[in-house]
Amino acid sequence: MHILLIEDDPRVADHVAKGMREAGHIVTIARDGREGLLRAAADPFDVIVLDRMLPHVDGLRILQTIRATGDATPVLILSALGDVDERIKGLRAGGDDYLPKPFALSELVARVEGLGRRGPAIPEVTELKSGDLVIDLLGRSVTRGGQRIDVTQREFRILEYLVRSAGRVVTRSMLLEHVWDYNFDPQTNIIDQHVSRLRQKLDRGFDVPFIETVRGTGYVVRPAP
Amino acid sequence: MKQLFASLSFRLALTYAGLFVGSLLLLVGAYYTMVVRVPLREAEQVVQREAAQLANIYIVDGEAALVARLRARDAAVDRYKAFHAFVDRKGRVVTANLPSWPRAVFQGWGRLEADTSVDGDEHDFEALALDRRFDDGARLIIGRDIDNISEREQALASGASVVAVAALLLALLGGLLMSRAIGRRVDRVAATARDVMAGDMSKRVSIDGSGDEFDRLAETLNAMLQRIEHSMEAVRRVSDSVAHEMRTPLARLRASLEDAAAGQGDVADALAEADRLTTIFDAVLRIARLDTGSREIALGEVDLTALLDDVADFYRPAAEERGILLTSFIQTGLLLRCDRDLVFQAAANLLDNAIKYTPNGGEVVLYGQEETAALLIAVQDTGPGVPDSDLSHIAERFYRAHKGAAPGVGLGLSLVETVARLHHSALAFRNIDGGFRVDWRFPA
Repeated sequence: MHILLIEDDPRVADHVAKGMREAGHIVTIARDGREGLLRAAADPFDVIVLDRMLPHVDGLRILQTIRATGDATPVLILSALGDVDERIKGLRAGGDDYLPKPFALSELVARVEGLGRRGPAIPEVTELKSGDLVIDLLGRSVTRGGQRIDVTQREFRILEYLVRSAGRVVTRSMLLEHVWDYNFDPQTNIIDQHVSRLRQKLDRGFDVPFIETVRGTGYVVRPAP
Repeated sequence: MKQLFASLSFRLALTYAGLFVGSLLLLVGAYYTMVVRVPLREAEQVVQREAAQLANIYIVDGEAALVARLRARDAAVDRYKAFHAFVDRKGRVVTANLPSWPRAVFQGWGRLEADTSVDGDEHDFEALALDRRFDDGARLIIGRDIDNISEREQALASGASVVAVAALLLALLGGLLMSRAIGRRVDRVAATARDVMAGDMSKRVSIDGSGDEFDRLAETLNAMLQRIEHSMEAVRRVSDSVAHEMRTPLARLRASLEDAAAGQGDVADALAEADRLTTIFDAVLRIARLDTGSREIALGEVDLTALLDDVADFYRPAAEERGILLTSFIQTGLLLRCDRDLVFQAAANLLDNAIKYTPNGGEVVLYGQEETAALLIAVQDTGPGVPDSDLSHIAERFYRAHKGAAPGVGLGLSLVETVARLHHSALAFRNIDGGFRVDWRFPA
C-alpha cells in the first residue's frame, strides 16, 4: 500500500514510517499541512495518516480541504486529543478512523491496513464464509464444519467483524469500537475475555484455532487458503 | 449631582415625578373646566342676551322703558347678581348699581370691581360686563356677578401650584431615597464581584430574603460563582493530583528504561509503565473535562434496561473467569433521560470495581429498578468493603481501597461521582453485611 503520512514531529514520523515499511508498505512523509495537501493532490494514496495538531493549522482543516476536492482516500487521524468527543469530531470532519497519541505502532499498522483494504463493501450478502466456518447473517447462526455453534449476540458480532476483516489484524480497541455501541473506556482488558469465550466455543473439537492471537496487538482470522 | 443624574434609578424617579405632576395638571385642567370655564361661559351667554335685549328696548321703546326694565332686573333675585349702569346721551348717570366703571368705553368683555353693601354688609362682587355705546351717545353697561367663579379660579390656581411643587419635591426626595437604596444593593454586588476578582472565590452576594429582583439576581450570580469556584477547584485538584500521581509511574518508567539501557531489564516493563501513564492521563483528563464543563453532557431518552443488560453482558466473561456469580435484576422498560455513554461508562466502572474487589467465587449483583420517586442502579458485591472512616473519601481522585490488592489507578469512582453529579443524581456507598453496596438514584 502507498501511505501518505502528514506529521510534523520527526521522531514520530520516522518511527511510524519505519514500522509501515517493515510491514511492507510504501510511505511518503509530509512535514506540514501545505506539503501534505500538495502531495495528496499530486499522487493517489491508499491511506492518509494525518496528525491532528500541525504547526499553525488544525489537521481537521486539512482533512476538510482534502474532502472538499472530492478525494475520498481513507484518512486516519492521529491526535494528542484523546477524548471521545474529539474522536467524534474527527470522524464528522470526514476522517475514517481516529487514534489518540501515544499509540502502539502495531495498533496503527493494523488500523491503516484495515482502512486500506476496506474497499467497496460486499453488497447484501446473507452468508459469510471463512474456511469451514459459515455465518448465516439472516438466521444469526454460526456453523463450523457443519456443526452448529451457539453464540451470544455479542459474540456473533465479534465473529462477524473478525471474519469480515479476515487476513487483517483486528486490535482490541478496534473490536470495542465496532462491536459495542458505546463510546467508553473499559479500563481493564475485558475484550480478551469475550474473545477467549468465543474461541472456546468455536474451537471445541477442532485442532486448528479459528481466531489467532497477535501478541501484544489483537486478533486475526486467517483467510482460507 | 452629575453622578445622581447618571444613576438609572434617579432618572427613573425623575421620569415618574414628571409623569405624576403632568397627570396632576391634567386633573386640575379638567376640574378648572368644570368649575370655572363652564359657569363663566354660562354667565357670558346670559349677559350677552340681556345686553342685546336691553339695547333693543332702548332703541325701540326709549329711555324710560329701559330704565324701568333695569330697575326691575336689579330687584329680581338671581343666581348671578345683576349689575348695570346707564348714562344718557348728555352724560348723566340715569341709573347704576355699579359703584364705578371705566370712563372710556371698553370693547368686549370687561371685569369690574363691584363691591357693594347689601343690607349694611359689605359684599365683594366682581361683575362680568358688556359695554355698549349707542349711536346717540348714550352708554349702557350690563353685567352679572361672577365673584364665586373667580374665587374658585384663584383658589385653584394657587392650590394647583402648591400641590405641583409639593409633588415635585416629594418625587425628587423619593427618587433620591430610591436610587440610594438601589445603589447600595448594586454596590454590594459590585463589591462581591471585586472580592472574587481579587481571588476570594468563597465570597457570595448577600441575599436579604425579600425575594425581589435583586435577590433573584444575587441567587443567579451566586450559582454562577459556585459553578466557577467548582470548576477552578476541579482544575486545581487535577493539577495537584496529576503532579502527585504521575511522578510515581514516571519514576518507574525511568527506572525501567535505565535498566534496559544497562542491558538488565525488559523493555516490555517500560512499555507497560508508559501505557499505565497514558491510562491515568486519559482518565484524569476525562474527569476534568466533565468537571470543568468543557465536555457537555448529551441528554437523551435512554433505554436503561438495555444499557444495564449490556453492562452486565460486557463484564460477564470477566466475572466467570474468576468464578464470580454475576447476576442482574433489571426491570424491563426502564427509561431514563441521561447521557448514554457516560452512564454506561459509570455503570461499567461500578461493576468493574465490584468484580475487582470481590474474591474468587464471590457474588456480584447489578440492579436496575424503578422506585416511587427515583430510578435505581445498584451494584452489590461480597467483597471486603471499605473502612467506614474512608466511605466519604472513596470517590476522591486516586483513592484506592486496598492498595495493591487489585489493578487500577483509583479514578473509576471519581468518574462515577462526576457523572452522577452532572445528572443531578445521588450516589451512596455503604458496607453491608458481608459485602459492599453502591446505590445510584436518579430522581424521577
